[in-house]
Amino acid sequence: MLELNRVDVHRGGIQVLWSVSLTAKEGRITALLGSNGAGKTTLLSAISGLVRTSSGTITLKGNPIGSQPVHKIVEMGVSMVPEGRRLFPEMTVHENLELGAFTRKARAGRHETMELVFRTFPVLADRRLQMAGTLSGGEQQMLTIARSLMSRPNLLLLDELSWGLSPVATENIFKTVKEINGSMGLTIFIVEQNVATTLEMADYGYILENGRIVGEGVARELLSSEQVKDAYLGIGDV
Amino acid sequence: MAQVIVYGIITGAFYGLTSIGLSLVFGVMRHLNIAHGSLLMIGGFVAYWAFHLFSIDPFLSIPIVIVILFALGVALYKGLFCHLDSLPEGQKINNSMLVGFGLTWIIDNLAILFWTSDVRAVTPAYTGSVIQVMDGLRIPVVGIAIVGLALLVIFSLHLILTKTFFGKAVRATAQDRDAGNLMGINVERTYLTFFALSASLAGIAGVVAAVNYSVHPTVGFEWLLKAIIILVLAGVGKIGPVFAAGIALGMAEGVSVYFTGPAYREVVGLVLFLLVLVYRAK
Repeated sequence: MLELNRVDVHRGGIQVLWSVSLTAKEGRITALLGSNGAGKTTLLSAISGLVRTSSGTITLKGNPIGSQPVHKIVEMGVSMVPEGRRLFPEMTVHENLELGAFTRKARAGRHETMELVFRTFPVLADRRLQMAGTLSGGEQQMLTIARSLMSRPNLLLLDELSWGLSPVATENIFKTVKEINGSMGLTIFIVEQNVATTLEMADYGYILENGRIVGEGVARELLSSEQVKDAYLGIGDV
Repeated sequence: MAQVIVYGIITGAFYGLTSIGLSLVFGVMRHLNIAHGSLLMIGGFVAYWAFHLFSIDPFLSIPIVIVILFALGVALYKGLFCHLDSLPEGQKINNSMLVGFGLTWIIDNLAILFWTSDVRAVTPAYTGSVIQVMDGLRIPVVGIAIVGLALLVIFSLHLILTKTFFGKAVRATAQDRDAGNLMGINVERTYLTFFALSASLAGIAGVVAAVNYSVHPTVGFEWLLKAIIILVLAGVGKIGPVFAAGIALGMAEGVSVYFTGPAYREVVGLVLFLLVLVYRAK
């Protein structure tokens, strides 16, 4: 579905990503893990088009998306849930969802999609006329995912879902992501600092350090590998 | 005193029309378009020439004004303002002001070159006619048209911003540009259309200025001053408060003229402006 081939990205004259290659397979959950400042958000922004690559290719189902503007990439079926939620706080839940279905294709079927989304997130149906800014943190995170689903994406990019959420709320959100992946067969590419929880949910994982991919593997195996235990789980040998 | 209120409302409706485009563009795009006054002046001249050359009623010339100013807005945004969009907010405001000042200078001088600096007015047959209500209360016919026009503009803008996908895209990108972009909104095109719409609004205000007052090449800056006072009084980017502040300013000026004569009319607005800056800007 999604393929990155030797992607370099510079921001403000500084190279942030170094020859990153990875694949997110259709219908699977692929995770990108790494500490703060490793370049995870930059990588997602490069896929969604918010940040330009300096070299390398990004392809979606074989079609290059590297040079397209952001709104075209959305039309091609990529939807991103940005870090820090980025809702439209002064608009209602309903309006936020409508904006999620902004592309021409999604707009036509937006009423059906909204019914579908409300079935996954019943709490949003109860709050549809409330301002998005007045929702609780967990509800806001649900709304960002719901808003992204409104565009009927083929590929969902999730950036730091656990941001600002309690462990319980995080667990709920992750459970929902797993459900969406199962019920809709949606391809998901998730970026997280929360390594253990993410690897329990994901199928495959990559580890990003200082802008380079330093490890990859099937999620279960990564979870028990010494490299991950050492660096991220704090349970390796010192 | 009732007469003062009537005139205050009419003047206020005009002030609201003058300010609304400036305020919306500032609120959504963070461009403080100083050339808004010059666009208003062009709108006034279009109405003037339409009336004098083709005897088109000024209020009926509004559709023509809207189209011409919209096209001009597209050109100005594509040629100048869109290049500022990638700047951080503070720099964007400063630079848009610089660009706007330069534009004002160019447009106003071109207008002098083409049309001379004569003061002109659009005077259809109903200019000066009034409707008598009760004893002594006179309502000018033009005033009724201006208030009606203002109401129509408020209503249309409200519909556009709350009911259409374009309007929702405008409000969304105002709150979070990148997030709006990630929804599939073509931010550049949305901004372009919105800027052009604001130019059209300036043109509509220009028609009213030409009918109710007069129009000459540097008239824009005078009305821009009012528009900026209202921007400060009303806060940014909301339709209702802009017209409320316009009427408040119109009334305040009317009352001051009633008590002290016209000499201090301009001072009132500036004093209000200062008071707001001192007491509310925190």
